[in-house]
Amino acid sequence: MKVVKQMVPLLAAIIILLLLFRIWVPSFLTPENMLNLTQQISVNTILALGMTLVILVGGIDLSVGAMVALVGTTTVYCLTALSGDTQDPFMLLTAILAGLGVASLFGIFHGIAAAKTAMPPFIITLASMLIARGCALRFNSGLPMPIKDEQTWFLAIGNGRLFDVVPYPVVIMLSLFLLMALLLHRTRFGQHVYALGGNREAALYTGIPIVRVEITVYLLCSLMAGVAGMIHTSQLYSAEPGSGEMFELTAIAAVVVGGTSFTGGRGTMFGTMLGAVIIGILDKGLNQAGVHYSLQYIVKGAVILVAVYLDVRRNR
Amino acid sequence: MNKALRFLISSSLLLLFAPLLSGCNDSSAPGTGPGPAQAEGNTAPEGRLFGASFQTLNNPFFVDLGKGLQKELAAHGDELIILDAQFNSLKQKNDLSDLILKDVAGIFVNPVNWEGLKGSLLEAQRKNVPIIIVDAPVKESDEELIVCTVASDNVRAGQLAAGALAKVNPKAKLVVLHLSVNKACIDRVAGFKETLQKYPEMEILDVQEAKGTTEGARPVMRDLIGRYPDLNAVFAINDPNALGVISALDSANKLDDVTIVTVDGSQAGIKAIQAGKLYSTSAQFPKEIGKIAAEKMLAHLNGEPVEKDVKVRVELITAENAEQHLEAD
Repeated sequence: MKVVKQMVPLLAAIIILLLLFRIWVPSFLTPENMLNLTQQISVNTILALGMTLVILVGGIDLSVGAMVALVGTTTVYCLTALSGDTQDPFMLLTAILAGLGVASLFGIFHGIAAAKTAMPPFIITLASMLIARGCALRFNSGLPMPIKDEQTWFLAIGNGRLFDVVPYPVVIMLSLFLLMALLLHRTRFGQHVYALGGNREAALYTGIPIVRVEITVYLLCSLMAGVAGMIHTSQLYSAEPGSGEMFELTAIAAVVVGGTSFTGGRGTMFGTMLGAVIIGILDKGLNQAGVHYSLQYIVKGAVILVAVYLDVRRNR
Repeated sequence: MNKALRFLISSSLLLLFAPLLSGCNDSSAPGTGPGPAQAEGNTAPEGRLFGASFQTLNNPFFVDLGKGLQKELAAHGDELIILDAQFNSLKQKNDLSDLILKDVAGIFVNPVNWEGLKGSLLEAQRKNVPIIIVDAPVKESDEELIVCTVASDNVRAGQLAAGALAKVNPKAKLVVLHLSVNKACIDRVAGFKETLQKYPEMEILDVQEAKGTTEGARPVMRDLIGRYPDLNAVFAINDPNALGVISALDSANKLDDVTIVTVDGSQAGIKAIQAGKLYSTSAQFPKEIGKIAAEKMLAHLNGEPVEKDVKVRVELITAENAEQHLEAD
C-alpha cells in the first residue's frame, strides 16, 4: 500500500490546516463553511484532474484557463442565439455540446501535435492558450455576455443544489473524480499513461499506442476544462471572455502539491484531489482570517515549495 | 514517517507565521486579528464586522475608498475587512461567500463584472446580509437585491472633461482610451460624447481598449501616434491610463502637441497637471464615496430608508485649482 502511505502526509496536512484555521476563525469548521469550501474548489479540482493526466505523460497544458473562457462564451452565445427567451432541453444540450466540441478540437490538436511533432507541449499549449483567448474575445467585442434569467437549467449547473443540500458543482466534481480515478487506476489506458510518462522509448517498444494515448490524454484535459468552464460561467451568471486567467497555474499547483511528479510517470488522482483541497483551505482560511492579500500569495507560494521539496526528497 | 512529520511541522510553522506577519499590514488594507476577539455578529451595536470586496487594490482610488469606509466605520467602533478580487470574478464570488459565511453585518462591493454579481447577491439575501455597491452600478434587474449604489456622477465627469477640452482645443482630433467592461467608464465616455455633440468641429478618430492601467495605455498610445499623425487630443478614462499616455507621448517627443483630459483626481494626476503634462482631470472623491457608503449602510442597519442611487459630486481640476486639491501627506 505504497500509495496510501504517500497520502498520509497530505491528509495529515489537511487536518492540521483545518484545526489551525479553526483556532483562528471560530466558525471555520461549520458544515456550511465546509460545504462552501467544496463548492469553491470545484472548478480548480476539475481542471486539476485533467491536468494530472497530462503531467503524468510528461506534458503540460497551459491553455485550460483560456479554454474555460472560450467554452463559456461559445456556450452562452449558442444558448442565446438558439433559444432566446425560452428554455428548451434540446437547445441547451446543443449549446453545451458546441462548447465541449470546441474544447475537444483543441484537445485533439494538442494530442496530435505533442505526439507527432517535436514541438514541446509547453509551447504548443502556450500558443493555443493565446488562440483560445483570442477566440473568446471575438464574441461580443470582448465584453461579458450575461445569461438570460430565463435559462434556469443552465444557471442551475453552477448555482443549484442536489436535494437542496449538495451544490451541483460538487456533485459534478466528485463524479468526475471517481471517473478519472477509475480510468487511471483500473484500466489498461491508465497503465499506458504511466508507462508513457515513465519511459517514452520503452513504452514505444512494448507496443503501447503512444499517439492514441497521448491524444486521449490531452482530449480529456480539454474536456475537463470545458466542464469547468460551464460551471464557472453558470456561477457568474455570464460568460466573461477575459476570465480564467491564471487558472492553469492554480490547477498545476494542485497537481504538484498532490504529489504528481512534474517529469511524468508518478502520481495519483486522489493526490490531486487532496492537493486541490489544501490549496482551497489555504485560500479560504487566509481570506476568512482577514490576512492581507499580499501575504496570501507568499504563504501559498511557500506551501507549494515546501510540499514539492518534501515530495522530491522522499522519492530521490 | 519521519518525513511526513517534517512536512507537518513546516506547514504549521508557515501558518503560525502568517498571523505574525499580518501585524505589518499597511493601514489601507486592515487585517482583523484572530477571531475570538470579534463581537457576536449583528446583536451587539458596537464592534460589528463589515466586509468589502474591490475589483483591485492596485489603484489608489480603491485604497482611498477603503480608507473612507474604514474611517467612518471605525468612528462607530466597527471593523472592516477589505479583499482584493484582482480583476477575477470567480475570486470575487468566493471572497463574497467567505464574508457572508463569516456573518459580517454588511458588505461593500465594487464589482469586477457589473453583470455577473447575481449569484453572490442572492446568497447574501438568503443570509440577510445587506450589500451596498460602490463606485459602479449593477444590472438594473439586480437592483432589488442591494441596499443602494454609491458612485461618482460618472456621466458628469465625462461631460466636464469634454467641456474642458473644448475650451482649450476646440478643433481637437482626439482618441479615447476606454475600459469598456466597466460601467463607470461606459458612463464617462457616454457623458463625454454627449457634450462633444455641441462642438461639431471636434472629431473622435478612434476608441481603443487600454485596460485602465498605466502599462496598458503605453503601447496602445504609441500605436495611435503612429496611425494618426494629426492627433492632437486624448480622453483617457482614468488617471493611470492618462499617465501611460503621457509616458508614450513623452518618449515620442509629442507631449507639447497633444491635450490630455481624464477622470479621477488622484494625487499622481494632480501632480501631472502641475507639471503641465496633463490638462485636466475630473476629480472623484473616493474617500467621500467610502464615507457616504458607510453612512448609508449604518442607516440601513438602523432601519432607516435609503435612496437607491446615491451620486457623489465630481469636480474639474485644471492648473488653476490643482494646488488646493493636493494633499499634504
